[in-house]
Amino acid sequence: MAQARTTTRSDGSSSLAARIGSGARVRGRIHGDGDLLIEGNVEGDLAIRGDLTIAEGGTLTSKAIEAQSVTIGGTLEGDVSASGPVRLVSGANVRGNLRGSAVAIDEGARFSGRLDCEFDLPPELGGSSRTETRGRSTARR
Amino acid sequence: MASTVIGAGITIEGEVTTDEDVVVSGTLRGKLTAKDAVTIEHGATVEADVAGGSLVVAGSLTGNVTAAERVDLQQGARVIGNVKAARVTIADGAQFKGNVDMDV
Amino acid sequence: MASQSSNLSVIGRAARVRGRITGAVDLEVQGYVEGEIAVGGDVTVDSGAMIGSSVHGRRLVVRGAVKGDLTADEAILLEDGARVVGDVRAPRVAIAPGALVRGFVDTGANGSAAPRTARAQAPATRSAPVAVKHVPAPPTKPAAKSAAAPAVASHLAGSAAATPKNAGPRRPPPPVVPALKKAKGQIAKKKER
Repeated sequence: MAQARTTTRSDGSSSLAARIGSGARVRGRIHGDGDLLIEGNVEGDLAIRGDLTIAEGGTLTSKAIEAQSVTIGGTLEGDVSASGPVRLVSGANVRGNLRGSAVAIDEGARFSGRLDCEFDLPPELGGSSRTETRGRSTARR
Repeated sequence: MASTVIGAGITIEGEVTTDEDVVVSGTLRGKLTAKDAVTIEHGATVEADVAGGSLVVAGSLTGNVTAAERVDLQQGARVIGNVKAARVTIADGAQFKGNVDMDV
Repeated sequence: MASQSSNLSVIGRAARVRGRITGAVDLEVQGYVEGEIAVGGDVTVDSGAMIGSSVHGRRLVVRGAVKGDLTADEAILLEDGARVVGDVRAPRVAIAPGALVRGFVDTGANGSAAPRTARAQAPATRSAPVAVKHVPAPPTKPAAKSAAAPAVASHLAGSAAATPKNAGPRRPPPPVVPALKKAKGQIAKKKER
């Protein structure tokens, strides 16, 4: 019968550890090591030490999503906290807040939510923008 | 190749439903319903009621099992729960505790 | 020759502008701007540029640093090197790898939270800081290339010429409208401050 040829190796390399096929639906929490590919419908929190991919046609609804890198070509509703880059490709439909080392949104991707990348503005614009004051026009000279 | 694969490092707590087949190598707690073949590999831990078209178990399964066609418990399998299917095989070396109902 | 190219205004690298910039123009910012930008054309924020306020245009291409909201009627492109703290809204938004954003982003947004119009209507009354936009040149307006508040356009162009590091290689300098010469003087003055 079908061998799970996609098991993770014990050396820690992340191969595709889990795949939720297009006809599958998961309601519940998913966590663990390895990459996750969602082609079906998943509802629930996610915390994986691997890369998350939501294929076109895949849907993820969640309150908390943690992964290394995240690539979204399908639908996502929820907040993402990635240790690596987050990328929305054309066809993606995302509502939620994204945090990652970098966030890229391709032309054709739909997104509505907050982006939170870690970086500092140049000092002339206020350096670390934690102060969150926009449009200050004081002559700081 | 299975359409849904729950790999060795992954734990799912909840319900999994699919109209295709599933291979579980990781951990599943909750409920699993598939239309086609379900494979629970050696090393997998399933604490759930499982329903499928057919079932092959080589890992650990605690829960009730219902298959439309057949259930095969392979060597190394540890199953605690009731099994209901038209055909059931329990291989030498498989551990099983529960009722078997082949009266479909 | 009233081609679109003559509608391009440039804030050169060494320029510092404090005050609103409006007009039916294309704008390229290489330097520092603090004070709302609301133009009717395309806005390009170059990689070394710094903008400390909101920006609105038809299309925005950002490679520099912006602290303020970005809105556009058509599209916003944040390219590698962009650093944006503020909201980003446009019917089309693309964020390339390497662009960093902190704020609310809405692609497919209904165009513009167009601040106070790119048409630069009112503000004549606005006082002080508005160095750039202000020009009381209205009468000779027609010379300006486009509809509405175009006085600002040539006006800007004039000031751009004043800054070193002008966008030399890019386009021929726009014609200078005589009536604006005095305005230009005003600008220079403000800039020194």
